[in-house]
Amino acid sequence: MIRKELVAASAEPLILSLLAKGESYGYAIIQEIKARSDGKLNWTDGMLYPVLHRMEHRGLIKSRWGESETGRKRKYYSLKKDGKTAMARHHEQWSLVHSVLAGLKKEQMFRKG
Amino acid sequence: MFNLEPSITEWRRQMLAAGIQTPVPLEELESHLREEIERQTKSGLSAQQAFGIAAEQIGQAPELKREFKKIGAPMEMQKIIKLAGVICAGFALFCPLFMFLPFLLAHELNLMTKMLGLAVYATIIATIVLSWEYNQKLLPAIHNQLLRRAVGIVCYAGCLLWIRFVLFHLPAGVLHTRNIFLVLFIFGLECTAIAILGGIGHGLEKAAREKSAPMDLSASQS
Repeated sequence: MIRKELVAASAEPLILSLLAKGESYGYAIIQEIKARSDGKLNWTDGMLYPVLHRMEHRGLIKSRWGESETGRKRKYYSLKKDGKTAMARHHEQWSLVHSVLAGLKKEQMFRKG
Repeated sequence: MFNLEPSITEWRRQMLAAGIQTPVPLEELESHLREEIERQTKSGLSAQQAFGIAAEQIGQAPELKREFKKIGAPMEMQKIIKLAGVICAGFALFCPLFMFLPFLLAHELNLMTKMLGLAVYATIIATIVLSWEYNQKLLPAIHNQLLRRAVGIVCYAGCLLWIRFVLFHLPAGVLHTRNIFLVLFIFGLECTAIAILGGIGHGLEKAAREKSAPMDLSASQS
């Protein structure tokens, strides 16, 4: 099970990266996260919405009410310019952490070999 | 026999009772609930089973309420808080202008004196603008919304009291000296203090947003 601190820290970069592909809505965002992580990133569905609202308050994303194919009301979110900047910053930081971890792992495997 | 719509109505009632507001965010949560129910029923589950799973996946109302509270004041309230700060800063910027302008236009003063006066006014403007832009970096992140608003209101009240009882009542000793620089300096200092005090409410909102408590996405589902 993934630590909840890591789940919380990865929420914003994941949402920003998904919205970079195009406008989406809460339910679709959750389903895509679950599908891409094989269910390992197990968010409580409702908890996505405080995250989305906080990102909107901070000016990273914007929202509009629309309708689904069946006429149900849906709130769509899209990326703003500040959101693209924040996403780039997240990618940089996560890539850094990943490269350091990968380098250390490679060294460990080299020593074992 | 299970009936979906009354169950959803009861779910809404429980959310409202726990403090989840409508239309934001309850309408969005209900939309999500209905989409999940539809997905589960399409995969073969009964309406009752689908509703149970969907409601569980949405999460418990108290935990949702706790997470929404971490966000801070609603957009409308944040705009009001920002406007109050803008009014204080605007007052602080324009008030000294009415004192400095006659000073700068006075014919008997030489250019050097006038340039000095202009430099003092420019320093006041720069301090007010910088405090407005960056005060959140120095202010603590008060996550308790009630406490944060109370501090903001106390600061605004302080501003109003200062304007009413202090700003236009310079100490007799200062006026006695007939030193125009001293008068302008003290007046400018007081206006800067008013702008800084008035910007604290908005700065606290920015600090709470920027240094916000981590969101808990993995809260227990039952």
